[in-house]
Amino acid sequence: MSVFLSQLSNGLNQSAVLLIATLGLLIIFGMMGVINMAHGQMIMIGGFCAFIFTKMFRAPFLLAVLLSFCFAAALGAAIELTVIKRLYEKPTETILATYAISVIITEGARMIWPLSQNVAMPLPGVLKLGTVSIPIYNIFMVAMAVVLLVMTVMLFKKTKIGRKISAITQNREMTECLGINTSAIDTFTFSYGAGLAGIAGCVLAPMVGVSYNMGSSYLTDSFLTVVLGGVQSMVGAALSSVLIGEGRTLLAGILNDTWGMILVYFAIIVLVRFRPEGLFAKERR
Amino acid sequence: MKKGRRLIALALAAALVAMPLSACSDNDSDHAGSSGNTIKVGILFSESGSTALVEKTMTNACKMAFDEINKSGGINGKKIEYIHEDYASDPSKATEKMKTLIEEDKVVATVGCYTSASRQATLPTLKEDNSLLIYPTYTEGEEVHPNVIYVGCMPNQQATEFVPYLLKKLGKKVYLVGSDYVFPKTCNKQARALVNMYGGSVVGESYVPLGGTDFSTVCEKIKKSGADFVYSAVIGDSNTAFFKAFKQYGLDAAKTPICSIGIDESNLQAIGADYAEGHYASMPYFSSLNTAASKKFVQSYNSLYKDGTKVTVLTESAYSSCYLLAAALKKTSDPSDTNALIKSFSGITFDAPQGQIKVDKANHSTWVFSRFAKIHNGNFDILYSSKSAARPEPWPSILYPQYKSSNFMPSWSDPKCYPQ
Repeated sequence: MSVFLSQLSNGLNQSAVLLIATLGLLIIFGMMGVINMAHGQMIMIGGFCAFIFTKMFRAPFLLAVLLSFCFAAALGAAIELTVIKRLYEKPTETILATYAISVIITEGARMIWPLSQNVAMPLPGVLKLGTVSIPIYNIFMVAMAVVLLVMTVMLFKKTKIGRKISAITQNREMTECLGINTSAIDTFTFSYGAGLAGIAGCVLAPMVGVSYNMGSSYLTDSFLTVVLGGVQSMVGAALSSVLIGEGRTLLAGILNDTWGMILVYFAIIVLVRFRPEGLFAKERR
Repeated sequence: MKKGRRLIALALAAALVAMPLSACSDNDSDHAGSSGNTIKVGILFSESGSTALVEKTMTNACKMAFDEINKSGGINGKKIEYIHEDYASDPSKATEKMKTLIEEDKVVATVGCYTSASRQATLPTLKEDNSLLIYPTYTEGEEVHPNVIYVGCMPNQQATEFVPYLLKKLGKKVYLVGSDYVFPKTCNKQARALVNMYGGSVVGESYVPLGGTDFSTVCEKIKKSGADFVYSAVIGDSNTAFFKAFKQYGLDAAKTPICSIGIDESNLQAIGADYAEGHYASMPYFSSLNTAASKKFVQSYNSLYKDGTKVTVLTESAYSSCYLLAAALKKTSDPSDTNALIKSFSGITFDAPQGQIKVDKANHSTWVFSRFAKIHNGNFDILYSSKSAARPEPWPSILYPQYKSSNFMPSWSDPKCYPQ
C-alpha cells in the first residue's frame, strides 16, 4: 500500500513535469497549428537562464523563473517575426524551419557551454508522511503546474487578447474581416508559448541539470500529451498529462520504467486510433 | 521591402547550407599536401550530435598525441598525417566515414568510435577492407574482433577489485541499476556473479530508459530493498537526475552510496558537489591521479584546449591509443600491411598517464589499471590503485569458465565470438 501511495505521489510529480513541459507546445501547436520542433530548445533556453541567473548572478530562483519566461518569450517573438510568419500556410516548411532553428540553437549552446551544468536545488529537503517521502521540490513542481495552467486558462478565457486568440483559432478569415490584427496576435501567442517553455526549462533545471540537449527528450512526450488531450483543450492537456504521468509511474512501480513507457505509448496509439481528435477535445460543430 | 526580405531569406538559406560545407572543407585542409613521406592515420569521432561533447575531448587527445609523436621525430623517420572524419553521432555515418578513410584516404589504421553502436557498425567494413580500428572507450566486452584493438577497459577491470571492496566495506546487500541497453546489462551480469561469489546478495535490479530523467521509481525501490549500496551502470546525463533524485528522495550517501562504473569528471560538475559527495566510482584513470605523468598530461591538455572539455578517462584512453598505434607502427617495416601491423600490437606497452599499459598478447584488449575513488568536494579521491595493469577479460572467466585460461582470439568462422 505504501508503495502504491508513494508511486501515486511520484506520478503526480511526473504529471506536473509533463504538463509544464507541454503547456507551451499546446498553445503553439494546438492554437496556432504550428508544429514547433524547436520546443525542446525553448525549454533548454529556460534551463540555461536558470543556470545563468542563479549560478552566475546569484539571483533568487523565482526571479530566474520570471526572467527565463521573458528571455524565451523574446526569442519566440523573434523567431515568429523572422521565420514562422512567412510560413503559416505551409505546415511542412514550418516543420523544416523550426527543426533548423532547433539545430542552430542546440549547436550554439554546445559551443558556449559544452559540459552539462548544475543548477542548485532551490528547495532541498523531504516531506515525510508515514512511509511516503515526498521531496519538497516535487510539491513546488505540482503547484507550479497548477499556477501555470490556471494563469493560461485565465488569459485565454478572461482577457480580451485571449478571446481574440480563441476567435482566430476558430475562424481566421472571419476574425480578420472584423478588423482584428491577427498578425500581432500570432506573434503574441507564439511568444507566450515559447515563454512557457522557458519556464519549463527553468523549473526542470534543478532536477535534471542543464545541457544543450536537455529539452529534446521532452518533445515526444509533449506532443503525445497534446495529441492525447485533444489539441485545443488546456484542461484536456492537464488530464492527459496526469494519465500519462500516473500511468507510467504506477506501471514502473509494478514492472519497470521501460515497460511503463512502452505500455503507456502503446495505449496512446490505440486510443488515438479510436479517438483521433483526442480524449478531451471540445465538440466541433 | 520585398527584395530585402528575399535577401534575408537567401542569406539564411546560404548560412544553413554553408554550415556543413565549412565542416567538410576543414577536413580537406587537414590532409592537403600529403606526400610519400607520411603515414596516414584516421581519427573518427563526432563533432556534432548527441555524443559530440564526449568525443570532442577524444579528438583533442588524438591530435595532441600525434602532434607530440611528430615533434619527437615521428615513426622511423616518417611523420604521421592524421585525417579527422566526423560521423555526427550516427552509427551508419560511422561506417560511411570509415569506408572513406580506408578506401579514399588510404589510412593504415583509425583511432575512433565512441559508442558501441558506432564501433559495431564499422566492423563489417573493417573486415571487408582488412583495416584496423583502435577503440578507446570502456566497453561491455563479450566481443573480440580480429581488426579491432580494444584500449578502453573491460568490465572485469572495473569490477573484480571494486565489488569485493564494496561488499567488505559497505555491506552485503547490493542493488543493481543501469541505463536500459547492452553496456549496463552486461556489466551488471558480471557484477551479480561477483556479488554472489563473495557472499553478497543482489536485492534488486532496475533499468531506466537511456537518457531518462525520472528516477523516482528506482529510488523508491532502492529504499524499500534495504540495500547497503547501489551498483550503478547509469550512463551519461541521466546521472545528474539520478544523483539528485537519490538525495531528494531521502537516500543518504553515508548509508547507501551509489557506486558507479559510468561517471567521470564531466558528470561531476553537472551533478553538483553536494549531491555527488560520498558516492564511489571505478575507472582505470581519474584526472586527479597524483603522479608526474598524469599531472603533466592534464596540464598539457588544459593548456592546449580551452574549449570547455575536461580530461576524463576517455581523453586518457584516446591519447594512449595513439601512442600504442605509434609503437606498433615502429615495429612494422611496411605500415600498409595490416596483418603485420595487427601482429605487432601483441604485447606492446606504453607508459600512459595512468601507468604502464599493455596490449594483451592474444585477445586484442589492453591491460589497464583498476582504480576506484570516493567523491569528495566535487573531486575523485582515489582510494585504490592496482599495483600494475590488470588483465582484460573480454569473455569474463567468472561467467564463461571455459575461457578462463585461454585468453582466446577466435577465428573468423567462430560465430559465438563477435557480431558477424
